[in-house]
Amino acid sequence: MDIQNTQSQMRKGVLEFCILSIIRQGEVYPSDLVEKMKSANLHILEGTLYPLLTRLKNAGVLTYRWVESNSGPPRKYFVMTDQGLQFYHELELTWKELADAVATLTHPTVTDTNPNTPSSDQPE
Amino acid sequence: MKKVININFQGRVIPIEESAFELLKAYTDSLRRCFAQEEGKDEIINDIESRIAELFGEALKKGSVCITDEQVNAIIDNMGRPEDLEQGTSATGAETNSGQKIAGDDSSAERGKLYRDENDKIIGGVCSGIANYFKIDPSIIRVAFVLTTLGWGSGVLLYVVLWAILPGSKLQAGTRNKRLFRNPDEKVVAGVASGIASYFDIAVWIPRLIFALPLITGLGASLINAVFNVWFWSDEPISRIVFSSFGGTLLIIYLVLWAIIPEAKSASEKLEMRGEKIDLNSIKTTIQEDLHAFATRAEKWGKEVNEKAQDFGKDVSQTVTSSAQHASSVVTPVAKSGISRIGTAIGLVFKAFFMFIFGIIALALLIALVAILFAGAAVFPLKNFLLDGFNQQFLGWVFLLLFFGTPIIALVTSLIRRMMGVKSGNKYMGYAFAGMWVMGLFSGMLLISDIKKDFSVRVREKQENTLAQPSTGKVFVRLKDANIVRQFGPGIHMTGLARLYKDSIQISNIDLRIEKSADSLYHLTTTRISSGKDDQTAASNLAAMQFGFQQQDSVLMLDRGIILPPGSRFRNQQIILTVQVPVGKKIIVDRAVMKKFFYLNLSNISFAEVDGGDDWELEESKENWRSGVEYLMTESGLKKTGVPLDEKNWEDNGDNEENFSPDAPKSRRQLERELERKNRELEKMKKELDKSAEPKKVAKQQSAKEGGSHVMWWLQSALNRVMHSTEDKAVAAGYIFHPKLI
Repeated sequence: MDIQNTQSQMRKGVLEFCILSIIRQGEVYPSDLVEKMKSANLHILEGTLYPLLTRLKNAGVLTYRWVESNSGPPRKYFVMTDQGLQFYHELELTWKELADAVATLTHPTVTDTNPNTPSSDQPE
Repeated sequence: MKKVININFQGRVIPIEESAFELLKAYTDSLRRCFAQEEGKDEIINDIESRIAELFGEALKKGSVCITDEQVNAIIDNMGRPEDLEQGTSATGAETNSGQKIAGDDSSAERGKLYRDENDKIIGGVCSGIANYFKIDPSIIRVAFVLTTLGWGSGVLLYVVLWAILPGSKLQAGTRNKRLFRNPDEKVVAGVASGIASYFDIAVWIPRLIFALPLITGLGASLINAVFNVWFWSDEPISRIVFSSFGGTLLIIYLVLWAIIPEAKSASEKLEMRGEKIDLNSIKTTIQEDLHAFATRAEKWGKEVNEKAQDFGKDVSQTVTSSAQHASSVVTPVAKSGISRIGTAIGLVFKAFFMFIFGIIALALLIALVAILFAGAAVFPLKNFLLDGFNQQFLGWVFLLLFFGTPIIALVTSLIRRMMGVKSGNKYMGYAFAGMWVMGLFSGMLLISDIKKDFSVRVREKQENTLAQPSTGKVFVRLKDANIVRQFGPGIHMTGLARLYKDSIQISNIDLRIEKSADSLYHLTTTRISSGKDDQTAASNLAAMQFGFQQQDSVLMLDRGIILPPGSRFRNQQIILTVQVPVGKKIIVDRAVMKKFFYLNLSNISFAEVDGGDDWELEESKENWRSGVEYLMTESGLKKTGVPLDEKNWEDNGDNEENFSPDAPKSRRQLERELERKNRELEKMKKELDKSAEPKKVAKQQSAKEGGSHVMWWLQSALNRVMHSTEDKAVAAGYIFHPKLI
């Protein structure tokens, strides 16, 4: 089993959710988005971001507007749509459930009284 | 030292090192391939490019003079290489765009199925789909299709059927590790030859030479043809059979390949062309390593590699770590040995083929050269009869050497240089050649104007000759020594309008006119005409002309031509012989006379007999004239009385030099002549019709003709002669070598 592959799979799973959560806070420029994620210690290649943003935009989750730049041509800033907000809330819900589940499973002492017994063998 | 170029990148002008630009281009191309299956492909690439452009802009703002390899590599690392992105996007892609993802998987999972490739298509993607199925280059399939189409047209049908049947699929590119491209970096015409060389891993000049054969053989063949046709009367020279079919096929193949094989535009395509680029998904080495491998191989190629590639490779190799160098040095020989074994085998075949062809060409050129030398030797003395004085001789030489020599030398030089892959080092050579050619042109023009001056004055002298009145009441005009048959000797033999003796020249610029005599006597008038620089020279030219005739009772024997003695020049000397026939007397003109002299001028008489109405058209009547037939002069004109006097005899007594096949069946020849004459009549009638439609124009033309230059007139009469001749070919051949035109 390739540990790197598994790790990247895990990261990718939450990538869209993270991106959407940043964009929800206000319109954002892709490279700033990368910086914000980096500061949160979530590293992402910029090249990965663009296809993702385009897909989300095509799905109607995001939209963009051109913002004049003081150096060079105008830049593309991404904003969330109403549909995107709904999408985000659903993801948020899923994430919370997932986080709870993961937390439950990774720290079994909190909820499980009998850690030595496999959960599947339990009655009821 | 590096070359910096300016590029317009996403609306910004970016100064960038050429090698860095190649890196950037390779990267964006690889991205394009990576996102080929994506819906918003263009938008994604655009976004990434504009971000890169922005980063470039920042780097420049920080004080960079230009964008370097390192900066490009850093940005690429930041953005992520296709391999990384592929992993990064595929998982998320499966969530948001599962449909496309499955299509992408199809191509790799079900490669065994035959599809039309919608990613790589010219018409319907059939060829590239087939190629993908067999894992070979689509160009090969395409060539096969075009060839079958050219051959039997079946290719089109098959293509359409396959187009309809096969399902389309966006197949992944890069399943083949080597592709046939046209190489734009090393091209003579379209880079087909060098692309093939790259594909088969052979020297560039081998395919190049093979494709250049049509040109070379064409040149050689036409030279030889010209020589053979003129001097040896060979209707179908061997050279044409050998070369033309072969050369034509190659030319067609080249054009087909040009149309079909794509040009290697991007850096990645160039690498793919050389077999360096491997499947994007399986590639583990970086682009630098790839380029480094190319560089090491390029060094091995030695001669045929161009300097640019080497520099590029070296520059890149500097940036590569030692481990990468090690890796590539291990990988390259392994990869190379497999290809090179096939390559050398094909190379050997090509070389053997080339040697064979080269031998033929060399032989052909040698023959052509010898023939030209002979021809030159034969024609050479003629120039002394045209050119007068040192000035003209000099100009003539300069014109000949520069005007004709320069293009030949330039052509040969450029062919050799290009074949050997020499990049045109100095452009001054081109200027020099052009300058020399222009000099040749000028000297030719000077020469012509100078010679024209020598023809500026034209004088004529009319001379009444005493003619013993024949007792038989008819005059038989024939050539002197008509019975002497001249055999073809060894060497070059010239026929036609001029004949060269040891130190004098004989020209056949003679007109024979038949008129109605005013009294009851035959008269013969000789009019000598000659041109000259001024009256004096013209008169002396006139005096130098030698033309004579002898009379033996009824037979009038004319000299075979005007003799120009040694030292005299050709100044369009001409003789008009006018035979005046009294009414009631007869005249026969030997066929040989007709053949020998330009023009039988009958403009002053009309025909009284020939089938036709009352209004005699002079032009028409002239066409009815038959030599070797007895004519009676009547009040209203000439009348044909006799049947042809023993046609066969006249034929044999005719100018035998021009009778190539005296044993040929006469009836056939007669019929041919008949046909020819009828055709001419038809043409004349058509002309008449035109003339009557445009009387004004004709009058103008006539006056222009009268007032026009004698040279023009002379040419026209020469043409007439050609028209009259039954041996068109021989006369035409002689016409080419007439002193006037040399």
